[in-house]
Amino acid sequence: MDAVTLEAKGICVDFPGVKALDHVDFQLVSGEIHALVGANGAGKSTLMKVLAGIYSGYRGEVRLDGRTVELRTPAAAQHLGIQIVYQEVDQALVPDLSAAENMLLDELGNPGRLWVNWRRMYRRAEELKRQLHIDFDVRIPVSRLTLAQKQLVLIARALHSRCRILLLDEPTAPLSSAETQTLFDLCRVLVKEGHMSVVFISHRLSEVLQICDRYTVLHNGRFAAGGPITPQTTAGELVAHMLGTGMESARSRVFHPADGELLSVRSLSSRDGSVREISLTVRRGEIVGLAGLVGAGKSEVCKALFGLLPRSAGDILLDGRPVNPRSPAEAVALGIGLVPEERRKQGLFLGENVSFNLGAASLKKWSRLSFLSHKKLKQNAHAQAAALGIKAPSLQQRIEFLSGGNQQKAVVGKWLAADCRLYVFDEPTKGVDVGAKFELLRVMMELAQTGCGVLYASADPGELLQIADRIYVLYSGRIAAELAAACTCEDEIMYYAVGGTAPFFPPGQSGKEEPS
Amino acid sequence: MNFIRLKKSVPGFCMDWAAVIALVVAVVAFSLLRGGSFLSSVNAVNILRSMSITTIFAIGATITMAPGGFDMSACTLATVSSFLFASLFLWFALPLWLSVILTVVLTMGLYLLTMFLILVCCVPDMLATCALMFVHQGLGLWWTGGGAVSAGMPTSWGAAPIRTSWTETALSIGASPWCILIMLSCVAFAFVFLQYTRHGRCLYAMGGNHIAAAYSGIPVKKYRFLAGMLTAVMIAVAAIVVCSRNSAAQISGCDSYLMPSLAAVFVGRSVGGAEKPNALGTLVGAALVAVLENGLTQMGVVYYVLPAVKGGVLALALVAAYGPRQRPAHSTTS
Repeated sequence: MDAVTLEAKGICVDFPGVKALDHVDFQLVSGEIHALVGANGAGKSTLMKVLAGIYSGYRGEVRLDGRTVELRTPAAAQHLGIQIVYQEVDQALVPDLSAAENMLLDELGNPGRLWVNWRRMYRRAEELKRQLHIDFDVRIPVSRLTLAQKQLVLIARALHSRCRILLLDEPTAPLSSAETQTLFDLCRVLVKEGHMSVVFISHRLSEVLQICDRYTVLHNGRFAAGGPITPQTTAGELVAHMLGTGMESARSRVFHPADGELLSVRSLSSRDGSVREISLTVRRGEIVGLAGLVGAGKSEVCKALFGLLPRSAGDILLDGRPVNPRSPAEAVALGIGLVPEERRKQGLFLGENVSFNLGAASLKKWSRLSFLSHKKLKQNAHAQAAALGIKAPSLQQRIEFLSGGNQQKAVVGKWLAADCRLYVFDEPTKGVDVGAKFELLRVMMELAQTGCGVLYASADPGELLQIADRIYVLYSGRIAAELAAACTCEDEIMYYAVGGTAPFFPPGQSGKEEPS
Repeated sequence: MNFIRLKKSVPGFCMDWAAVIALVVAVVAFSLLRGGSFLSSVNAVNILRSMSITTIFAIGATITMAPGGFDMSACTLATVSSFLFASLFLWFALPLWLSVILTVVLTMGLYLLTMFLILVCCVPDMLATCALMFVHQGLGLWWTGGGAVSAGMPTSWGAAPIRTSWTETALSIGASPWCILIMLSCVAFAFVFLQYTRHGRCLYAMGGNHIAAAYSGIPVKKYRFLAGMLTAVMIAVAAIVVCSRNSAAQISGCDSYLMPSLAAVFVGRSVGGAEKPNALGTLVGAALVAVLENGLTQMGVVYYVLPAVKGGVLALALVAAYGPRQRPAHSTTS
């Protein structure tokens, strides 16, 4: 009955400098919905991609129905009936083609076919449509579908080929609760009628508990826990596994008494609904953390403050005066600096040298009568490079040749030179090495000491606990909790970040109170 | 390790200076083959004169392309400007200085339409200016009544023109040494502006990474507008030179300068390892085209085969500039 369909043993994947997966074991029973959970960067997506044949360089053994199989190419995985639906649906779809064509896109690549049989194509699309209970016209272009509908198109594409194992990478993240429910119903039908197995990644633990039969928890690329989901399984239990044990991080900053409000945001909402009724304050000399999972709206809050996200409601008060930044240029004029999430795309001028990059946000200061003074620019660069510990062979070096950590320091340095009042950091430690991470945290603390306000968004609660004074936890665009960093812990932050609503009790104190 | 060779390798050096090397090789080769008839001051002035108009257009294109813009309609707009200049000077008999200033101002006014489509309507540059090519063609001919504007011809509403012939001064604009001096001052202005002013560096910052520029607080729309307006000035200047050299504003008189001027910018892009449209590179690119044209004609290559030879050499220069270049981001970290 509970035959193991797929068994992965000792899977290892190395990325440069990181062990993305370290001897992970994974078992999938036929006819089950299996949850794969873990914090950001735990290796969930990597494991999915190994099973889908994306990483040809994995080590370890995968057995399908007891036979060893090699999943070295996507085609090999598909041939064995393993299909994947990625989180970024738009990357896998051709927006100008009809839904039907997108469903059968894999056939376009088949050799030896010259003519397109439209009748056959639409007939097959209608079949898939019935199977998936799709209620939209398959002849309209994909660009006119909603996100949930696009996802269905991709699931239909997976079903069109022989599909035994369906991998869904965070399918519910962009969906509304009604759409999520529809997707769950569909999964149950597929498992029951189609005799398929579904692997399901989600950060929303309530969903996992609701729909899945068994779970596997990954932590830092390792297998952390696994087992069946019973009515006794609680979210707190999963969170404890996700965070691992013995993760006490020493708080390296003493609480700093702040003097007066610098920034006050009142029920801010964005037009696209990614930020909803956010209210927060940042005092002078205070580091305020924004916690939350990827997609919870941290970046969006930062962007809204920086004039990049159109606001539909709410007020922003800076130094007690209402301000209305509509573009980054206006925000910079107000004294707000943003260290953006994607430094190569949004923060750096890769073709320019280090010294220009360090002066880019304050060019007016380095020029006289519009003429840029290279001497002043260089002096500024020397000062910032020394303050931040930027290691470069020369400041005339193009910045694209520096390491990620040094590049990120340069982005921060750009704003230091601009003398901002409020510094907004959006995931500044993403993709930088440990040493650089430490120095970035130090810079933030120094900024706070000089009386600036720092708003620090990070998906890593450990880092926030190290240096923040207060932490706001975001969950799907809203503030789920406001916590004083001195009297909270990673578990509590994670609990609210995955949608916990009841007051938090550390595991062990409250486990018995759950209904059984 | 996080650094890079500071010294470029020999092939890298050749790539960076490919356009200059090609120019030098062409000059040396033609000098050896044709001797005094190529290598003479008279011929040098000839070459400079023949490249002047292309270069001014190319400088305009350089300023537009610095912030990542593009303008297909520059030369059709120039045709309109030349109509305006000729009609202001001949039909209304305005003094030369006033005709020039009015032409520049009116061209900038017409360029507002381009800026409107690009900045307000957010149409991609290439598509917006493609559409405007046709608008300019129709607009210009509507103004002239469907014909060229030359001395002695009646106005579009049938009246006799106030001034019946070009003056000596007006015609000298398009002749050497004036056209050469105008070209050189345009190059010098663009070089100083793009290289040494804050505004120029902001334009390059936008061209390098538009999002990062906006995120750094650079008012990107204002700067794109500034670049457009400067381009309009270059277009107007070039149009006046064309008009003066032809002693008439001809139908489609400027249209054929588009491709050579774009070629000059693209060839010049890599000069000195700049990797961005730059004024001196553009000058080198335009000079390369002019030297080839001049030398090949002297070599007796028939005029109708000339474009093929010219295009072939240009393609080689472009291959050197763009082609099998190692991508530094991957090849230099070790």
